[in-house]
Amino acid sequence: MLLLPKFDYEEPKSMREALAMLSELKENAKVIAGGTDLLVNMKKGTVKPTRLVSLKKIGGLREIAREDAGLSIGSHATISEIADSALVASLFPVLARSASCLGSPLIRNRATIGGNIVTARPAADLPPALMVLGAEVQLKGKGKGRTVSLDSFFTGPGSSVMKAGEVLTKISIPPVPSFTGGDYIKLGHRAALEIAIVAVASRLTLDRPDGVIVDARIVLSSVAPTAVHAPLAEKALTGQRPSEELFARAASIAATECSPITDMRGGANYRCDMVGILTRRTLLKAFHDALGMKEGGA
Amino acid sequence: MKKLITLTVNDSAYEVAVAPNRTLTQLLRDDLNLLGTKEGCGVGDCGACTVIMDGKPVNSCLVLAVQADGSDITTIEGVATSAGLHPVQQTFVGMGAIQCGFCTPGMVLSATRLLEKNPHPTEHEVRQALSGNLCRCTGYQKIVEAVQEASRRMKK
Repeated sequence: MLLLPKFDYEEPKSMREALAMLSELKENAKVIAGGTDLLVNMKKGTVKPTRLVSLKKIGGLREIAREDAGLSIGSHATISEIADSALVASLFPVLARSASCLGSPLIRNRATIGGNIVTARPAADLPPALMVLGAEVQLKGKGKGRTVSLDSFFTGPGSSVMKAGEVLTKISIPPVPSFTGGDYIKLGHRAALEIAIVAVASRLTLDRPDGVIVDARIVLSSVAPTAVHAPLAEKALTGQRPSEELFARAASIAATECSPITDMRGGANYRCDMVGILTRRTLLKAFHDALGMKEGGA
Repeated sequence: MKKLITLTVNDSAYEVAVAPNRTLTQLLRDDLNLLGTKEGCGVGDCGACTVIMDGKPVNSCLVLAVQADGSDITTIEGVATSAGLHPVQQTFVGMGAIQCGFCTPGMVLSATRLLEKNPHPTEHEVRQALSGNLCRCTGYQKIVEAVQEASRRMKK
């Protein structure tokens, strides 16, 4: 049996109190939300906080609500709350799809969106979908809070721009333009409890149903130190009339825009090939969804 | 330092002093002597430790006992009633869905929760709902069939 080392546990009643506790101990204090990642790492001895701070008594951190025609999601909303939310499914199906791919039903009932972001794992499921949606995260520290685009949040495996003592409180997703569709595909050896070998999220916006692509976003996951955009493939799509040939061309460009490692889950060359396949498939689905949609929803 | 928590387990209220580094699995097994909840991997991969927490199945090995303060827990001991075994338990026994039995408490809890939410699941929905519970004996087929048969019996 894996035992947890000793630590203190606090449930502050206000954010001010929580931030004071966190800044006092710096790296020795950790926020515990769902615990599905943190407790595993503590059992394995890879992180050794002396104090865990739970924010469960602080209100408002679990809300999923409309915000300026987009959506705001509290950092403590669980993955199943996001996967099952009618609001998320209608506005951002790509986010609902990525949430339903994470872990298992048991894990999704505890794991949180904030946790899936701050742990900064290169294969995390939600960041690619959130990045194609242009999401921003709100960070609160002892001083002034700040808002960071998810595109510039991750700095490496397990690391981000977050400083010790900061807390991620909210994720904001801007409204989706008309004629926009998106998709997320995760490739794994099995359908549940899996860390992606490769995952790709894409989003396309057309100027009108029979028109050209005005905005293209492709994010590749599990094939670089962080989830990354494929900027050359995005550029190759922009301004073009959608076609299967165009998507195939963009997909082969995307396959050159990653830097995977070879590990137990898959070889680097295989991963590059799969980036191409998944990119093409996500673009096709994104295009079909964009045609079928008038306003709101990606 | 130990913390005093209150929680409801299988409709009984408890007040327990627990150390912060104890998991909900340990609280149930060691402090409340509810040995039906098993610990397999201890890291959320196997689902043997599944309990229902505030209406949702979770890995109790990844919940701190102090995090369960104020919550309502159902373990496998709370599934059968004075009227007898739950239909899911009956079909598991009757249809060979149990071999070594280690995964069974978790399987039964995930399955009963599925049938509460979705009384007539498809085979795919059953497999999805049980995808966090590993079984190394049965190959899953009989487990899935038992859940589907329980769904049919509960309809009547």
